[in-house]
Amino acid sequence: MAQEIDGQKHDLSRLNEDYASKYCFRDPVDYFKGAKGLDHEAVAMISKMKKEPVWMSDLRHEALDIFLSRPMPTWGNTELLKEIDFADIYYFMKSTDSTKGNWDDVPEYIKKTFDRLGIPDAEKNFLGGVSAQYESEVVYHSMKEDLTKQGIIFLDMDSGLKQYPEIVQKYFGSVIPSTDNKFAALNTSVWSGGSFIYVPPGVNVTVPLQAYFRINAENMGQFERTLIIADKGSRVHYIEGCTAPVYSTHSLHSAVVELVAMEGSYIRYTTIQNWARNIYNLVTKRATAHKNATVEWVDGNLGSRLTMKYPCIQLVGEGARGEILSVAFAGQDQHQDAGAKVIHAAPNTTSRITSKSISKDNGRASYRGMAKIHKNAVNSKISVECDALLIGEHARSDTYPTMEIDNDQVSVEHEARVSKVAEEQLFYLQSRGLTEDGARLLIVNGFMEPFTKELPLEYAVELNRLIQLEMEGSIG
Amino acid sequence: MTPLEYTIDNLPEGLTEGPQWLSDKRRQLRLSFNDKPLPRRGAHLWRYTDPGKFVPNSSATAPVTASPSLAQIESELFGLLEKKHLAAVVVDKCGQTATIRMSDELGKAGVVILPLEKAAQSHTPLVEPHLYQLINSEFGKFEALNGALWQSGVFVYIPDKTTISLPIHLVRDAGTAASQVFPRLLIVAGKNAEATIIDEYTGGPSDISSGAGMSHGAVELFAGADSRVRYLCLQRQAGGMNSYLTCRARIDSGAQMVTIPLALGANLSKQNFGVILNGKGADSRIFGLAFGSQYQQFDNHTLHHHAAGSTTSNIDFKVVLADKATSAYTGLIRIDHSAKGCQAYQENRNLLLNPGTRAETIPELEILNEDVSCTHGATVGPIDPMQVFYLQCRGIDYDTAERLIVAGFLEKTLQIVPGDLRERVSSLIRTRLEAM
Repeated sequence: MAQEIDGQKHDLSRLNEDYASKYCFRDPVDYFKGAKGLDHEAVAMISKMKKEPVWMSDLRHEALDIFLSRPMPTWGNTELLKEIDFADIYYFMKSTDSTKGNWDDVPEYIKKTFDRLGIPDAEKNFLGGVSAQYESEVVYHSMKEDLTKQGIIFLDMDSGLKQYPEIVQKYFGSVIPSTDNKFAALNTSVWSGGSFIYVPPGVNVTVPLQAYFRINAENMGQFERTLIIADKGSRVHYIEGCTAPVYSTHSLHSAVVELVAMEGSYIRYTTIQNWARNIYNLVTKRATAHKNATVEWVDGNLGSRLTMKYPCIQLVGEGARGEILSVAFAGQDQHQDAGAKVIHAAPNTTSRITSKSISKDNGRASYRGMAKIHKNAVNSKISVECDALLIGEHARSDTYPTMEIDNDQVSVEHEARVSKVAEEQLFYLQSRGLTEDGARLLIVNGFMEPFTKELPLEYAVELNRLIQLEMEGSIG
Repeated sequence: MTPLEYTIDNLPEGLTEGPQWLSDKRRQLRLSFNDKPLPRRGAHLWRYTDPGKFVPNSSATAPVTASPSLAQIESELFGLLEKKHLAAVVVDKCGQTATIRMSDELGKAGVVILPLEKAAQSHTPLVEPHLYQLINSEFGKFEALNGALWQSGVFVYIPDKTTISLPIHLVRDAGTAASQVFPRLLIVAGKNAEATIIDEYTGGPSDISSGAGMSHGAVELFAGADSRVRYLCLQRQAGGMNSYLTCRARIDSGAQMVTIPLALGANLSKQNFGVILNGKGADSRIFGLAFGSQYQQFDNHTLHHHAAGSTTSNIDFKVVLADKATSAYTGLIRIDHSAKGCQAYQENRNLLLNPGTRAETIPELEILNEDVSCTHGATVGPIDPMQVFYLQCRGIDYDTAERLIVAGFLEKTLQIVPGDLRERVSSLIRTRLEAM
């Protein structure tokens, strides 16, 4: 056992060595860049470049006004938020001319980027479709034939808008309107890329759909927009993962993800967020679950400088079920302000929130949650569990849950625990021959296990390795 | 002038009495009250309560008529003092000068119970370093309001190594009219001292039909090293009161403090109880209870601030709601970076007796170091139907079963209420439950 752990450690140190080449590289790319800063002119330019319908263009301009009129959030890490300079960001970039349908057609330098991220391998194995986002637009897109045959639409958002304008118009902004918050408005006005998925009634998508995102230019915001619609009785699992090169100045990522789960359908949305440590990740994610539908958010936050992300499920149909499982790892200089929201607006709805966070060095992990039960949502159940692990004497953990209960025929439970790695556990493992490092690693992995076991295998392996990397040298 | 633009133009006559330093402070707080904006609705701790409800009405005056039940309570308390069930009794009628009676033993032991403005003069070295230390203009607009306008304040001092085994009982009556009162209390317990203080808030108009009465209270408490202090706050004001109370305690190393906030009355009650654990080995427990019916609205906060290492804290806050009553509970545990080896627990349970009630619970944690063990839990739900079924199987009718279960739910908290008061509080709750 001890040998095995030490062997892993050896492996890890190598991982550390090639971390720079694996994650911190940058390729020279010819970009089309808009001007820095944001005004109606810039928005009009984006809309024109994309040859969008008038309603989308109007929506963008309207959202821009909302964005400009709204104040910055007065809660959360206002110190860090203040540092965002909206005038110093490129709101639109384009690195290739059109969306490619075939891997061979993708330009060589972009392929190189993805090769290092392992996309083709993943596809070879069992993935259904790859929607790889390089900079602001999807440049590569492939779809397995059997998916197309079943009538499943899996496109990048821009193509989705072109090919299925009526579906997009019906659902775009229906879950998260531009008026929702400042950053949702920002995204609506300058969105580019993201995924568009429609699963027809009764169709079970047996393989997870997957997209990789990358940001590869300094001072460039990435504003992808994802819309997933699962029609009656269908099932779909979508995986979003991202890594990014390290930059010298701050970069902003502000996505909007909308899920619509129709009657009896099932959507699982898995995220592993590993943005570079200088990126602001301000994301709005929300799902609407209709009658007897199930929505699950599986959300892992490892990277970024500041993440503010609270995946939300609105249970609007009787018998709907929601589950949010989230993990946050806040290392040196990071603030993971993550959480979860469930809104019960129909009878017999149930939800469960499990949140795990690790704060290390001077990292700060916050859980900010909301559990609301409306008057008519009788016989609803909510269970919330937050666990926090603190490693290092400067680590910080906050818990800000909110529960608003407007009716008495419900059951609501909330529990939270904050502690360091228990001395007894360390002692126990060390007395069985593990080194202190090894023991600590084992305990941290055990702490994360409820999350990792929900991930597809290759992600779980990647996550474990990333955590091992983070944990290195955590003693002393 | 609309209520929201209320400013204190001049300190009323009578409030400029006392030593110069005190009237200077009052003036300073008056200015900061005028300068501070009204808390923004939706800001932290103001999410569920409209700050406008606590803005004083410039036309309202201090109350003159004591509430009818006060005479009875007064004679009852004086009786208990005679019978040696209480150590001292303070009755404050509508913010006029308080009547203070205490046992001879207390005087001999060096215990001081005086009107605050008098104590500021006669016991300056005890009062000046403590008054406004914990609750001042930095705390908030309404805290500045009380700081400037408090009347009939009370000062309680327990000397070092003095044990007062019987409770000291204070009654603060808000009269009958829709008027405003500003009670203030300063408690200083010396090293290794022991005392129990009961702080009872009564009176006010019976409903809000002719405007709400207003009460802005502030309680500052200092517990010296190794002292043992129990502070019980019983808020049973009449249904026409908007009641605002801020209580802060700072306890030194090895001190043990128990805070028992019991909120039963008022139309709108916003209370903030906080304990700062300021020395190694300090221990604080809060056993709270809020019981609401009809259209009562409660907004309670608790704070355990671990400013020193090896400190322990525990909060058990129970809420029972009936009819259309609502409650919001926000509890914060903060553990400073330097406070190693702390243990903190917080529990908030809400029992909703019928549809139309509403409970919010926000148990917050801010932990700034790793060497801690900190947990919290919160639940909201109706009476367990299985428990009712069990009792019904044994021939108990539904209403009685419900009352039994509620009584059981509150029992743990009521057990901690000292002596004669326990029966009075239990019967208050019983009467309310039976009336439902």
